[in-house]
Amino acid sequence: MRFTLPLLVACALLALHARAQGAHETDVPRLSNGKPNFSGVWQALTTANWNLLTHGASAGPPEYGALLSTPPGYGIVDGDEIPYLPAAAEQQQRNYENRFKDDPELKCYMPGVPRANYMPYPLQIFHSDDRMLVAYQFAGAARIVNLGKPQPSAIDSWMGVSNAHWDGDTLVVEVIGFNGQAWLDRAGNHASSALRVVERYKLAGSDAIDYSATLEDPKTFSRPWTMHFRLVRNPDRRAHLMEFKCVPFTEQLLYGEFYKRTAK
Amino acid sequence: MSMKEQAKVVLCATLAIAWWSFAGTADAHHAFSTEFDASKPVTLRGTITTVEWINPHAFIHLDVKRDDGVVESWMIEAGSPNTLVRRGLTRDSIPPGTQVVVFGYRHRNGSNTANGRDVTLPDGRRLFITSPGTGAPAAPDSAQ
Amino acid sequence: MKSYLVVSIALPLALTGFLADAQTARTPWGAPDLQGTWSNATLTPLQRPAELKDKEFFTPEEAKAYVRQRLSAVSGDENIQTDKQSGNVGSYNDAWMDRGNDVVPTRRTSLIVDPKNGRVPPFTPDAQRQFERDQAHAKEHPADTPEDRYLTERCIVFGGGKAPMFPEPYNNNYYIVQTPDYVTIMAELNHEVRIIPIDGRPHFPSQVTQWVGDSRGHWEGDTLVVETTNQKTNRHFYGVQMLDSLMSDKFRVVEQFTRTAPDQIRYRATVYDPVFTAPWTVELFMHPQTGDLVEYACHEGNYGLKGLLSAVREDEKHAAEGKK
Repeated sequence: MRFTLPLLVACALLALHARAQGAHETDVPRLSNGKPNFSGVWQALTTANWNLLTHGASAGPPEYGALLSTPPGYGIVDGDEIPYLPAAAEQQQRNYENRFKDDPELKCYMPGVPRANYMPYPLQIFHSDDRMLVAYQFAGAARIVNLGKPQPSAIDSWMGVSNAHWDGDTLVVEVIGFNGQAWLDRAGNHASSALRVVERYKLAGSDAIDYSATLEDPKTFSRPWTMHFRLVRNPDRRAHLMEFKCVPFTEQLLYGEFYKRTAK
Repeated sequence: MSMKEQAKVVLCATLAIAWWSFAGTADAHHAFSTEFDASKPVTLRGTITTVEWINPHAFIHLDVKRDDGVVESWMIEAGSPNTLVRRGLTRDSIPPGTQVVVFGYRHRNGSNTANGRDVTLPDGRRLFITSPGTGAPAAPDSAQ
Repeated sequence: MKSYLVVSIALPLALTGFLADAQTARTPWGAPDLQGTWSNATLTPLQRPAELKDKEFFTPEEAKAYVRQRLSAVSGDENIQTDKQSGNVGSYNDAWMDRGNDVVPTRRTSLIVDPKNGRVPPFTPDAQRQFERDQAHAKEHPADTPEDRYLTERCIVFGGGKAPMFPEPYNNNYYIVQTPDYVTIMAELNHEVRIIPIDGRPHFPSQVTQWVGDSRGHWEGDTLVVETTNQKTNRHFYGVQMLDSLMSDKFRVVEQFTRTAPDQIRYRATVYDPVFTAPWTVELFMHPQTGDLVEYACHEGNYGLKGLLSAVREDEKHAAEGKK
């Protein structure tokens, strides 16, 4: 009988521990190493790909009527402004005026980071203990997120080099090595090859990721600025990315002047 | 020569012929002979102004001074930079101002473009140094 | 009695230890672990050269000699003078290339293991006629539009990005990541991502075709078996390096990935296509790649295709002017 009290206490402690563990573990999906598991098919609920800032509806090329018009939407940028340096602000204006010709999205070029995350198409994350691959449906863009020792960027790239570390349950990803050729949206917002992006991914329950990205580029912006939005999980667990290779759809546009005249 | 040695020589020769007829120095994805003119070899002595380390082909931009003193801009089409990156190349490895000699063939479209068939420093050393392939286990005694 | 106990306990334990070493690595959820960064570069040709007849395997000495000759034959640097004489434009210096350093570890004389002659089976008579028509068309129309050109030149897909996975002369690198429901392979060339669900979901309906096909996998013992269907058909599917061929919309591939050693994945792929008189199987080995994948943004920098089309247009113009 002298064991009863200690036994009861032990059981109570065990139950409390189990409950705490259970609450912790069922809160978000986790890998075997205890880290939050970002695997899944996700898509952003935002109109940021049209314009990062709050915008009303506007016309597209007239021959396409409503099809290529711009829908309205709330912006996702803290303070609802992008702090351009004067020359960069002029460049954004020029981009906007030529957006139906110069937007790299038109040419099926890779969208870069962070734009790839808020295009209106799904992305799929494959996340195991030591590895993470983010595949984007648009243009089959993809990036490896390095969870181990940080890697340098040897040459410029469209999707940058991504190095990540954990801050509690938040995955912090630093992206460097951009070539400065991607746009940030269809409104001509842009950055240079000096761009550095710090992303933060946090699971909000099991079906959403709270995402933020802080952009820093001393050649383009007078200060760093941050965007926030939510990525939502595709509820169909048997859905995965389908191929969206738009390159063949752009061949006429890009190479048409070199086609043989008698060809179709 | 013994029978065994004779057989080895025959095998060697056969393999060499078989391989040569099978695939010469053809580039993977691109019939360079369609783009560049075998009847128009060029040797360009120039100064690098910039290098685009891009895929599918890197482009080396050169200023070449003609005999009459006029400076021409040339684009030299080269390979994928990725293998060189694995061998240690970075965006700063070949700075503007580097003097090079390029042997190649002129583009059929008439522009000042050539393939970088052989790119050397003025003293004759190759600009891009070959070293064993990355990642693959090397055969002992294999040529490099 | 004691020694019997020792043997009956110790021996199985020892064996388990031995088997554990020989056993394939496992993911935390118990599946064979294929993850890593791998290369499938090799100097072994797809088909056994005709001159080798029935010779299925090289001896170690023959393999070494073959490697030396192969590296020499494909070397741009070594062949500059002979190329000049034969009017071969070539490409560029060897340093840009990475075809591999060795033949396959089995020393087989071809990647094709079946048929036994190491060569792709013949076409059916109908397929042969179609192939000849295609060749004739290609001669007449080398570059009217990009659709006449190879899928690699168009930056649509490369040899290692789809099934069967064939190496190219460089960048034959792959990043494999696994989750309980997927094995996903990213190929460096064209940043290709092949997503292979392994939870038994069906293929896409037939109206969905993809340049990387549609793959579904399952484990058979320690081997990942992947079936690929819904492949977009194209005259140039097999590429320029490996095989000028033909394909039908009944094309199907079954691949097998087995982690045969900590530093090796054995890869087999069988092509089923009624244009051939029989299926054919290749065997390749993947070895670790110490570097990370480097971005290969192909379409974004594709001056080459523009150059190629403009070159052919210029040739046509000169030919037309010459005729006047």
